[in-house]
Amino acid sequence: MSALTATTLPQNHALQQATALLRIAADEPRPQSSATSVDPSSLPDFALQQRAAALFTAAENDLHRHTDQLFARLMIVQWLAGIVAALWISPLTWIGDSSQIHVHVWAAVLLGGAISGFPVWLAWHHPGKAVTRHVIAVAQVLTSALLIHLTGGRIETHFHIFGSLAFLAFYRDWRVLATATVVVAADHLFRGLYWPQSVFGVLTASSWRWVEHAGWVLFEDAILIVAIRRMLQEMSEIALRRATLEGSNVEIERQVVERTAELTRTQAELLETSRLAGMAEVATSVLHNVGNVLNSVGVSAELATSKVREFRTGSLKNVAELLQQNSADLPAFLTTDPRGKMLPDYLLKLAVHLAEPQVAILQEMEMLQKNIDHIKEIVAMQQRYARGTGVVEALSVADLVEDSIRINTASFTRHEVNVACEIAPLPPLKTDRHKVMQILVNLLSNAKHALDHSEGDRLMTVRATLNQVGQLEIAVIDNGTGIAPENIDRIFSHGFTTKKMGHGFGLHSGALAAKELGGTLKAHSDGPGLGATFTLTLPLEN
Amino acid sequence: MAQYSQTAGATGNPPAQWPETSRVQRDPGQSQLILFLHPRCPCSRATLGELEQLVAHCRGLFSAQVWFIQPEGMDEDWSKTDLWHAAAAIPGVQVNVDYQGEEALRFQAVTSGQTLLYDASGGLVFQGGITLARSHSGDNPGRDAIELLLKQKTTLSASAPVFGCALG
Repeated sequence: MSALTATTLPQNHALQQATALLRIAADEPRPQSSATSVDPSSLPDFALQQRAAALFTAAENDLHRHTDQLFARLMIVQWLAGIVAALWISPLTWIGDSSQIHVHVWAAVLLGGAISGFPVWLAWHHPGKAVTRHVIAVAQVLTSALLIHLTGGRIETHFHIFGSLAFLAFYRDWRVLATATVVVAADHLFRGLYWPQSVFGVLTASSWRWVEHAGWVLFEDAILIVAIRRMLQEMSEIALRRATLEGSNVEIERQVVERTAELTRTQAELLETSRLAGMAEVATSVLHNVGNVLNSVGVSAELATSKVREFRTGSLKNVAELLQQNSADLPAFLTTDPRGKMLPDYLLKLAVHLAEPQVAILQEMEMLQKNIDHIKEIVAMQQRYARGTGVVEALSVADLVEDSIRINTASFTRHEVNVACEIAPLPPLKTDRHKVMQILVNLLSNAKHALDHSEGDRLMTVRATLNQVGQLEIAVIDNGTGIAPENIDRIFSHGFTTKKMGHGFGLHSGALAAKELGGTLKAHSDGPGLGATFTLTLPLEN
Repeated sequence: MAQYSQTAGATGNPPAQWPETSRVQRDPGQSQLILFLHPRCPCSRATLGELEQLVAHCRGLFSAQVWFIQPEGMDEDWSKTDLWHAAAAIPGVQVNVDYQGEEALRFQAVTSGQTLLYDASGGLVFQGGITLARSHSGDNPGRDAIELLLKQKTTLSASAPVFGCALG
């Protein structure tokens, strides 16, 4: 019966509270009576109710266990207090000048121990069980009786009963108060009938006087039961709120997990995009420089063509036809004919004339060959760096820097950028060749762009040194357009660019790549028009 | 414990008339209450509580003396316990030491808490205890009887059981 009530009570509270919450949420008009039946259609989901009921039961059980333990300690204290009271008030009983230990002392020790011992044992070994708190209630009332007796029936000690009832209300279980009240009433009833002087202090008492005493106890019970009802209601409201909160937390956690997964996916995609963008930038640089070289190839081919066109092949044909016409007597033609006499000088002049474009063509052909070799070199370099992704190898810093410059050489030449390279003696760098190359090519390309609209000498310096903590620092310094202070912090953000045709990938992916290599990429500028320095810091061993 | 509480002590056989040989000061023309106590009897604290109520209820109707026995070989410190001070604190109550229990013997008092009430003419009208049990305060027939006698609502002599330690 009690178990049934215990499980249904919180659910009813939870249902009523949930209904109230839902009504508020739906802005429904509230019913006139708060005790109206619950509309099933307005109930929250069953799981919430169940969780609220479980939380209520857990809180109630926790309360019972703690109160049991509190009473266990209280009973021990009361037992000791009873002994102290007996020793203080009536330590000895006397016959003249001889004495012996007063029976109250023995009662305090033995009877008090018997009353307190069992409930203390129950509270320690079976906390939270219904039987424990009911035994405690009985023992507490018996302790009151013992203390009243030990203090000689003092009216003040009777307050212990009312204090005990208030303590028993800590259980928030009206049945415990009922048990205590039944014991008090039964004690007064039976002792009133058979031994009235022991309980009412008179030899004859009305057979209904026990009702008066029990009535005062019931008076306190009534107040305490009202308080218990309110406390139980608050507990069930708290349980429902906690269950609702837990539900919200679960939903929030689920969303956090979902968003985190989305973020991880997006970050991976971004990394891939950045990597591709980095590779594209290298490829763009390669194509750009190959294009520049191809311009030279075109110029050389055009020059060679025009020189070839300058060849006087018509004059040579005329000489050949003249010799063919006089082939019957060539010696007479060459010695007697005025045209034949001029022919050797003419051929000599023609040979000199033909030799001149030949030299120029040969020179252009040599230039052409060099430019083709340069294109081969650029393509081979690009292939070498593209192939090396993810592979850690020992690299020469000087080679890395020079290769990255070489890829951009044609562009630098075309835009009249003077590149200075300052590389200190450095140990080999063990890292991913491709990533470093990607960063350096991007930095050099950015520096070239920064110098495009620069007046005066366009200077770029690439400086490689070891810093104070033994890390490699490669600084790309230009005297170009510089960076505005408000852009310094944003310059590595994804999508941020100051170039008209830029995408905002280069520096972002460069910074990410540097981080992947265990290093950093930082920017510094004294302001617009004052140039910029980008410093790539890398550990010598990644 | 119940048996201990409810077991009355011996009441002796107090003289029906005030003994002339007594050192207890006679107060002619007034009812006189004499209470014999064992200075260390824990049960007698309740008796003093009841005496206090009697004094309050019947102010001016009687004079009261409390006699604390002091057995042979004991000094006054043995007698002057907290009970002594509690008795002395009751207004109008005279507190005395009964050396070697001479007066207790004279009045035939043998149990702590034994109370004797002599009327104005020196006749014994009440003898016994003024508690219902050992150590227990509260309404009791002994105190009720004394109140009725003092207020002259009865002239019948009365007695009640005495609950306390033996005086000697």
